[in-house]
Amino acid sequence: MTGKSSRASGDRRQPLALAAVLLLQGIAAVFFVGDAVGDMLLDPTSPEGMLESLVALALVAGVVLSGLQLRAALERLATQERTLDTARGKLSDVIATQFQAWGLTPAERDVGLLALKGLDVSDIAALRGAAQGTVRAQLTRIYAKAGVSGRAQFGAWFVEDLLEDDLTLAPNEKTAARTAERS
Amino acid sequence: MSRDLDRGAEAAPLPPDPWDPLVRISHWLIAGVVLVNGLLSKPGGNLHVWLGWVALGTLAVRLLWGFVGPSEARFSAFLPDPVGALRHLRDLLRGRPSEYPSHNPAGAIMVYALWGCLAIVVATGLVMTDMKSPVTIAEDRAAVAAGDWSVLVDDSETAESDHEGDGIAKELHELAANLMLLLAMVHVGGVVIESRALRRNLVRPMLTGRGKMK
Repeated sequence: MTGKSSRASGDRRQPLALAAVLLLQGIAAVFFVGDAVGDMLLDPTSPEGMLESLVALALVAGVVLSGLQLRAALERLATQERTLDTARGKLSDVIATQFQAWGLTPAERDVGLLALKGLDVSDIAALRGAAQGTVRAQLTRIYAKAGVSGRAQFGAWFVEDLLEDDLTLAPNEKTAARTAERS
Repeated sequence: MSRDLDRGAEAAPLPPDPWDPLVRISHWLIAGVVLVNGLLSKPGGNLHVWLGWVALGTLAVRLLWGFVGPSEARFSAFLPDPVGALRHLRDLLRGRPSEYPSHNPAGAIMVYALWGCLAIVVATGLVMTDMKSPVTIAEDRAAVAAGDWSVLVDDSETAESDHEGDGIAKELHELAANLMLLLAMVHVGGVVIESRALRRNLVRPMLTGRGKMK
């Protein structure tokens, strides 16, 4: 377990270093672009000016690309954390957080939870003292907000993490791909 | 553990754990620059100009991060919402603010106000230094020190109006800088009050990125 947790903290330090370098690059790019623009204004056709513009362009492109890479790393970490929380038996926390992230209303959260527990529309309607049509409409809105096709996919959204073989914290291409798919 | 027990799915979601490393580092960098340039460094001095450019770079990266960053850092997570901000302040006065996955609506308004002030301060600072980078300024000063005064000659025909513009820029620079320091104090006060109301330390996630008690 200690081996795992030290690996986890190593995973956590990587984005920190990436972010620090990204900011350094950004600040350097601003200084360099400021200098290059000054030189360009003095003499737009000088070879130095053109070279400086090229370097400035490369710096800016580097900043943007590092940013995207950092975001991918952070999303991978978040997925791993959610997976671990699910595995630790904190599924109800994971569900509550995810419902909030999808922007479900309190009523939709209740209905969504009951649906996850396996109750069908008539049961949910009876429990909540609502019309079946209302519950059906709420479920449709929940699926739309979660971006799933229906109840089976809705339930699978939360179980899927547990069925992966990457419960160990190994960085995993599949996880990253799935995160990208979800966001 | 009791935290887990009383938490059904309909209870409030987990306290968010939102600050990624880029948000954290840029936050403290800008806080440091604002404090040093606002209170310590000599206005117009070398250090002052260098730090101003650092703030410009940091702000640029943070604004870029508002488009490409993770969801909590993106502008879409904390669009300006004055009505929501007032509602949040009312809830806060009653002692039961709700949790938000990113900035709370009042905090979001503060973020935009601080960024706006910083942008004005940086822009007017650039006007006052004729957009010269600190490297150029240092070179010019070295030249003057070496006896070459030609860099001091203002060769633009609009020198007159330029100086007038500089006066306005200076006024704006000081006004926005003082406003920013004032807002920063309100911001710190808000963090203290909200930490008390939510019964958790809101500074720690900005320092270590770990808000949840595991």
